[in-house]
Order: sequence, then C-alpha cells, then structure tokens
Amino acid sequence: MSKRGIAIIGVSEVPTRRMPERTRWDILLDVCIGAVRDAGIDKNDINAVISPNPMAQPQIALEMALGRIPEVLGLNGCRDICVTNAGGTSTTNCIRIAEQLIDSGQADFVLIPHTTVQSDIPVQDLINFFATAPLDKEWEYPWGVSFNGSMGLITQRYMYETGATAEDMAAVTVGLRAWAAMDPNSIFFEKPVTLEDVLNSRMISTPLHARECNLLADGGGALVLTSHEIARELGGKAAYKLGHGTRFMSATPVLRKDVFHRRAYRETSGDALEQAGLSIEDMDLRQIYGAYPYTQCSALEAYGVCAIGEGAKLWAEGRCAPGGDLPCTTMGDATGRGHVGSGVSMAFYIDTARQLFGEAGERQVQDCAHAILTTSGGSVMNACTTVFGREPR
Amino acid sequence: MSERQRPLPEIQPFSTPFWEGTRAHKLLIQHCCDCDALIFYPRRECPECWSANLDWKESSGKATLYSYSITYEGVEENFADDLPIILAWVDLPEGVRMTTNIIDCDPDDVYIGMELEVSYRALTDEVTLPFFRPVKS
Repeated sequence: MSKRGIAIIGVSEVPTRRMPERTRWDILLDVCIGAVRDAGIDKNDINAVISPNPMAQPQIALEMALGRIPEVLGLNGCRDICVTNAGGTSTTNCIRIAEQLIDSGQADFVLIPHTTVQSDIPVQDLINFFATAPLDKEWEYPWGVSFNGSMGLITQRYMYETGATAEDMAAVTVGLRAWAAMDPNSIFFEKPVTLEDVLNSRMISTPLHARECNLLADGGGALVLTSHEIARELGGKAAYKLGHGTRFMSATPVLRKDVFHRRAYRETSGDALEQAGLSIEDMDLRQIYGAYPYTQCSALEAYGVCAIGEGAKLWAEGRCAPGGDLPCTTMGDATGRGHVGSGVSMAFYIDTARQLFGEAGERQVQDCAHAILTTSGGSVMNACTTVFGREPR
Repeated sequence: MSERQRPLPEIQPFSTPFWEGTRAHKLLIQHCCDCDALIFYPRRECPECWSANLDWKESSGKATLYSYSITYEGVEENFADDLPIILAWVDLPEGVRMTTNIIDCDPDDVYIGMELEVSYRALTDEVTLPFFRPVKS
C-alpha cells in the first residue's frame, strides 16, 4: 500500500431546509462536532480546518477565513486555516489542500466544514446574486441571461443533438427526486414527483421547468480526512481517495466549445480511473454534481457508461434511479436535495462516503465498493472527478 | 422597448469601439493584428498570443441560431416588461458565437438553425444593444 493518499473517516451534516432560525454558527458547530465524533478522534487531533467559502454570505465567510472555527471549538492541535472559493468545486479544493497537508506530513487529520443559510437573504438579492454573479456584465447580463437561462440554452441544444424528449429529460428529475425522497437530509424527503409533476410545473426558461431548476436552501456538512495509513490503523470505516482528475473549461458558457462538458468528463474520469487502476465498469455508483438534469446524461455518456446521446434514455428506462442497475447520484443532486450554494459538493462527498461506509440507509447501493464522483463550479466552468473505494489501493 | 431601463452593459475602455459600432449600426468583432485571431468577447490583450495590437472587423450581421431558451422568470425586475425573453446563442459566419436575444419573433416560431440578422435597439443615447431577428424569406 502506498504511504500517500487520503481517506474520509468521518462525516456529519444537518438536514437541508429553509430554516432561518437555524444560524450559520449552529450549523457549523453541529457538523464540526458531528464529524469529529463520527471519525472517533479527539478534537485536538485536528491539525487544519479548510473550508469551502459560503457564497453570498460575506460576514460568515470572513469569520471562517480569519480563524474563528478552531478558536470557538478549542481545536488546540490546529496548525492551519483556510477558506477556498471555486464555487461548487470549493469542497473539492479543500480536499486537495487537505491531501497536500496530509501527504507532506504537515497534518494527520483535517476538518472540512461548510455552512450556508440562504433563507434569510431577501429573494431579490438572491436572484441578483445568482443571476448576475457568475455572468459577464457586458456580454451576457444585458440580454437577461441567468443561471437557469444558460443551462436552458445548453439543455435545448442537448435535446436537439441527441433527440432526447421532454419526457426523457423529466425522467432525470423524477429519478433524482426518488433518491431524495428516501434521504432525511433532503429538503424533498418523502416528496417524490411524477413525470406529470415535472412537465406540468411552470416553465422557467425553456426547456427547463420549475422542478428541473434548483430550490435555494440552507444546510451544511463536514468531513474529517486522514491518511490511508492512519485510516487503516484506526480500523474504522473509511472512504479512500484512489484517483482524481480535473479540467477547467470556461467561465462563460457561450465560449465553451465542449458545450456538454463531455471532453472534460471523459478526461477527468479517465485520469481518476487510471490512477485508481480501475475501469468504469468497476464503479458501483456514479455521482454527478451538475445541478441541471442534462449533466446527469452527458456525464454518463462521457464516462463511457453508454453511447453518446444515450444518457437521457438510461434515466427514462429507470436504470439510474432507485432499483436500477446503474445507480446514479443517490443524494439527488441540487435538484433533489435543495441547493446550498457552494455546499452541494459537500453533500456529494458525504453521500459518497456514506455509501462506501455502508451507512446510506434506504438509499444504500448494495455492496458498494467503488464510486466515481464529479463536481463542477460556476456555470459548469470545470469538472473535477474522483474515484473513491472502501479499500486502499 | 420598455418603461423600465434594462441593465446596461459595463463597458470597458478596450471594448468602447464595439459600442461605438453598434451606435452606428455596425457589428464589430475584435481582431488580433499579430496572430489573426478573431476575439469574442473583446479583451485588452489577445487571449491567443497576448498581443495588444488589436483592431476591429465588421461582421456581415448574419447569424445562425445555435441554441435558445425562452425565459419567463428568474431575472431582475428591470427585465420584467420584456418577458418572455428569447435568449439566444448565435453563430456568426465569421466564426464567433455570441449571446443575444431574438426579437420580432413569436416564441413558438423559434428553431435551432434558423437564419437571423442583426437588429439594433438603442437603450440610451450612449448604448445600443445588438439583437437578432428572423431573416424574412
């Protein structure tokens, strides 16, 4: 076994809800204490706190960047502190920083906590933030482009090129919501939807209906990471990071030649699988964070799970949903979980770890030994793909 | 187009010629004099070779619709009078893809691949936005 490499050994999260009475610090304290206890270590074992930036919440972001978490929690072994911001891939960057600290011997245990409360932000401010923040103020915004509009443009073209129907695309959301309905941490727990529910929901930006877009919500989660070696010595549950690849495409969707991100998905999954010494057929679970349904299709195509243009069909046939032979995105993506800003990818890492721990409850993928996970940030500016396994390499 | 003022583009010193062009009903594409790249959106330096030796080429104003999305909600209030907005990505024959709106067109009549031509609308005395409309057969 390689001495290098990291593993997730503890996770914790709070339910994703719209709950303004639950403060950002309530969430932070719950998930930090929860994850350290879940890992079975002492608070003073934590050597670094590396956090994803809470989006559109400058006060808490500054408090976290300036070291309040280890101080408030009395993490007396903490040597390093940092907040990273790469949108939805912030958690991915936190994990990579943790990996560097652990691999270089500077840290044995790293805590990665996330918190977000959006329900106390005025709706118009949220629209303005999410409609304008990632968009070019000169070449996109004056024409009324929004996140939903950008993703509508891509989805329309995806359907045109692949022949996927509105029903095929709606089946993605039905599948994601079916997973989410079994997850007490989802805002849509016990609230599955039918094809008709999706197709009859109001049109936001064609071809995207309201139920195919994201509900902004509050939430948070935390991970504890350590080395492969320590994880094995501890002898408890562990999700080992086995391989990783990342590619940047473009900040502005219209400039993207790789419109459906297939090249980025293919190259990053290729890198991750090669490092892991595994193939896509070895994966028991596929986890795709794209926040919009077409990504659940184009990623499967690019991974090599199916032919180009056949991704939506897999969802329409129910193969990716609960009970299917190709379980995908068992936390429901942002569409099914509720969108917690930069924290959606945190929820993906936690869910992936739980599946490999065998602690995913009703959603548990049988005998889940390997999982592949892709995260993206901004308006899918990048793709970051990781292979995890329940055994070290 | 509306009572409310749509948001104006945040014009940069190096993109000013583009907006002077639209005021004169010309669609200008930035061009690198050193590596011959066509650049969209305009930059201070060429993104291909970092040359600052840049000029402008006039586009034919024709375009083909690459994709569209008809937005009914989820934009700031100053767009409200214009909803629904037909968002569009259009391919200019010069090799540039840009974001715009399709105007003078029923949303039901939009289709990928449709032929379009530029159409200018002044938002203020200073700012004229390029939109596209169907080519009349």
